[in-house]
Amino acid sequence: MMTKTRWVGKPLKRKEDPRLIQGLAHYVDDLALPGLRYAAIVRSPHAHARILGIRFAAALESPGVVAVLTGEDIRGKLGMVPVAADLPELKVPPHPPLALDKVRYVGEPVAVVVGDSRYRARDAAELVEVDYEPLPAVTNPEKALEKNSPLVHEQFKTNQACLWKLEGGFPDKAFKQAHRIVRQRFTNQRLIPVAMEPRGVVAQYDAGEELLTVWSSTQIPHLLRTQIAAMLGVPEMRVRVIAPEVGGGFGSKLNVYGEEALVAHLAMKLGRPVKWIESRRENFLSTIHGRDQINEVEVAVKRDGTLLALRCRIVADLGAYHQLLTPAIPTLTGLLLLGAYKIPAVKIEYVGVFTNKMATDAYRGAGRPEATFLIERMMDLVAMELKQDPAEIRLKNFPQPKDFPYATPTGVIYDSGDYAAALKKALAQVGYKKLRQEQKRLWKQGRYLGVGLSSYVEICAMGPSSQMPAGGWESATVRIEPTGKVTVLTGSSPHGQGQETSFAQLVAEELGLTPDDVIVIHGDTKAVPYGIGTFGSRATAVGGTAVYLSLQKLKQKLTRMAAHLLGVAPEQVVIGEGELFVKGKPRQAKKFLEVVQAAYVAKTLPPGFEPGLEATSFFEPSNFTFPFGTHVCVVEVERETGDVHIRRYVAVDDCGRVINPLLVDGQVHGGIVQSIGQALFEEAVYDENGQLVTGELMDYAIPRAWDVPRFETSRTVTPSPVNPMGVKGVGEAGTIGATPAVVNAVVDALRPLGIRDIAMPLKRERLWELFQKKRAR
Amino acid sequence: MKIQGNQTITAPREKVFRVLVDPQAIARLLPGCEELEPAGADTYDVKLKLGIAALSGSYQGTVKLAEQRPPERLRLEVTSRGPWGFADGAGTLELEEKKGKTLVHYAGEVKVGGMIASIGQRLLEGAARLVIGQFFKNLEKEASA
Repeated sequence: MMTKTRWVGKPLKRKEDPRLIQGLAHYVDDLALPGLRYAAIVRSPHAHARILGIRFAAALESPGVVAVLTGEDIRGKLGMVPVAADLPELKVPPHPPLALDKVRYVGEPVAVVVGDSRYRARDAAELVEVDYEPLPAVTNPEKALEKNSPLVHEQFKTNQACLWKLEGGFPDKAFKQAHRIVRQRFTNQRLIPVAMEPRGVVAQYDAGEELLTVWSSTQIPHLLRTQIAAMLGVPEMRVRVIAPEVGGGFGSKLNVYGEEALVAHLAMKLGRPVKWIESRRENFLSTIHGRDQINEVEVAVKRDGTLLALRCRIVADLGAYHQLLTPAIPTLTGLLLLGAYKIPAVKIEYVGVFTNKMATDAYRGAGRPEATFLIERMMDLVAMELKQDPAEIRLKNFPQPKDFPYATPTGVIYDSGDYAAALKKALAQVGYKKLRQEQKRLWKQGRYLGVGLSSYVEICAMGPSSQMPAGGWESATVRIEPTGKVTVLTGSSPHGQGQETSFAQLVAEELGLTPDDVIVIHGDTKAVPYGIGTFGSRATAVGGTAVYLSLQKLKQKLTRMAAHLLGVAPEQVVIGEGELFVKGKPRQAKKFLEVVQAAYVAKTLPPGFEPGLEATSFFEPSNFTFPFGTHVCVVEVERETGDVHIRRYVAVDDCGRVINPLLVDGQVHGGIVQSIGQALFEEAVYDENGQLVTGELMDYAIPRAWDVPRFETSRTVTPSPVNPMGVKGVGEAGTIGATPAVVNAVVDALRPLGIRDIAMPLKRERLWELFQKKRAR
Repeated sequence: MKIQGNQTITAPREKVFRVLVDPQAIARLLPGCEELEPAGADTYDVKLKLGIAALSGSYQGTVKLAEQRPPERLRLEVTSRGPWGFADGAGTLELEEKKGKTLVHYAGEVKVGGMIASIGQRLLEGAARLVIGQFFKNLEKEASA
């Protein structure tokens, strides 16, 4: 690994930022093409209804309208929206891009209107009349499992989509032997990802070239190309997908949506480029939601606080249809449910349920925030019931550094870690003992201070292909151009994570250049070799490693070429800053550019040396990586208003080796904010008729700047053995680690009220009511 | 959303009832009603222009006089759909004789869907009160004429 650190580990400002903050970046909606048409989608206002007929003559006659399509027009012509998740006995209902015969959630696309302007298309869409026969809807996943429930998909005769079980060790025996069993029911409420840029698609078909180009705000351009080609029946090499600037995804764009194929289909059918831009309200209704699990957890403990076993039943509300990974997400909850603790036995049952709601799928953390919330809440409950300190109970149950690689009874192997070091560092930084004293003092004054811990571990760098639905490797091509500048083509598809900077730092470090000598190209299937994309905190640990491996190949070529020019053996050549020189003889050197040009002009080459300087690597990781850390949240809850003031937030994260600490901090900050959102504010609410009543930002509260404190971030560094750079990934650490820290802090603050648990989100009215009830008693 | 309340109309019960089941009058009673055409037994197709803030627009629907027990009880079923979704309602009107005047007790439920539900919930109660108030004002005018 790197011994020098000229660039790696340095807090470089992002190369992406100048264009982003100056409004020079190009998003899908910025695309202007001659003859562009605009699509507007007619969506179902019913959660469950039969479509009796669709009248669209008035829409078709509306000024500027060129086409109206309904489900009947695409029946048999456009493939189903794909699901890649693979679970035993998974029920997969047909999921057409436009509803056929029935609608099953509010917001389901029913028809599409194409016009010569966005406004005319939208106006005409309002003229489409759909006759519905409303059917009873089911929105509560537990009720959906009852015998007399309405069925979302009649053909299955049940709303149970899947049943997944996991058992390790001897859980039932452990529960018999336990001194104490701690039980709690939790809800990981449904969340809406709310990326700043909603979805958007532009498609153009070149009939001469027979080439379909699709611009989409996506995290997975290559996977999308494969799936669009399949849905349209077009050969894959005739499809080009471009992910331009993407304004946030958080997993909501790690998907293949019906609209992506539909807009492509329209462009081919009409012979005109077609644009569809999702409105914010559509985004709330019809872009995937996250979380939505009901969890019954019980842990068996010894009197001294040693954990013996954990059992959990997960009822996951999958919504009406599967999106790409919908039913797979809760399995990640299962795999991570033992958290950062040595628990020898586990038994998990996950029931996936169809309801008349939008599909859930990967939302930042994807199954792991749920797991961390459950285990970290349970750790606090165990501490409470045994009257132990929450920090002590955690320290007692961590695996020790010598235990790594640590195989959990859920079947994953934690790569490396020193969990106690992170916890102790966090406690020291926050001044834990003093805080506990202050808490006692304030309680006596009728003030409610709380300290919440979360010692998380997460599953990142997704992942070994054996564990992934569609390959878990990543590709990278590094090309040193004849002028000595470097082009990196990555199969990762960064959309805010900053790899244009961090990969440039890697290149600069390895080749003795500066990051300004490097450009990182991504998100265009015509330019970049097949890649898997950006999600699951994988871009650096998997995609970055592919870059690193290509750099090693190039370094070998460079040193061979330099050795040839210098008349020495390749082993004697060292790469310096802007030059290559003979080890121990820095004056015997060739400029980097000179070596590069020699490789290109190819007048004299070492034997068997291929001209040019380009290398491609596909990195297949042997395991996931397991970042970890401890977050400490200090809150004061206002008795009169129920307001939660976050006084301090200390985050000690370990994501292995760090390439750019600024990027790491940025990722942690954003993640914590979204976690605070889940803990205190956010909740997607459907009423019993299946209407989304939190349909816009007036009703769906996301944290604002004044809701979040100044974060105190720091790190421990435990390199991962899974990849040569020792990096782990940090894209989701904040959302995985922080939610339970906030909730634990609030529950801790309210201990004098005799509170054991409070359902998320911990809204001020909910907390205010708790104070009122206490007062009334 | 449940709706409940009562309203006094300064006209005898029989007169009030007659107005309530007279198609010509209904067209004048329903706020924003632009058209009312018979469509089967005791059922009428209606065109309504409703104004609930951002959800204003033309709505099409049906009105059904589902149950008639002159002069004391009437059940109304209304469906409507428009650019922002749908609003369906069903309710009963009970007419009580009160010294030559009529006390109308009303109770019903309104179901909304689409944008009306997702963004209009918090406007809904106010809007419903407004529509109901308008309805009774019209009824007063028709019945006392």
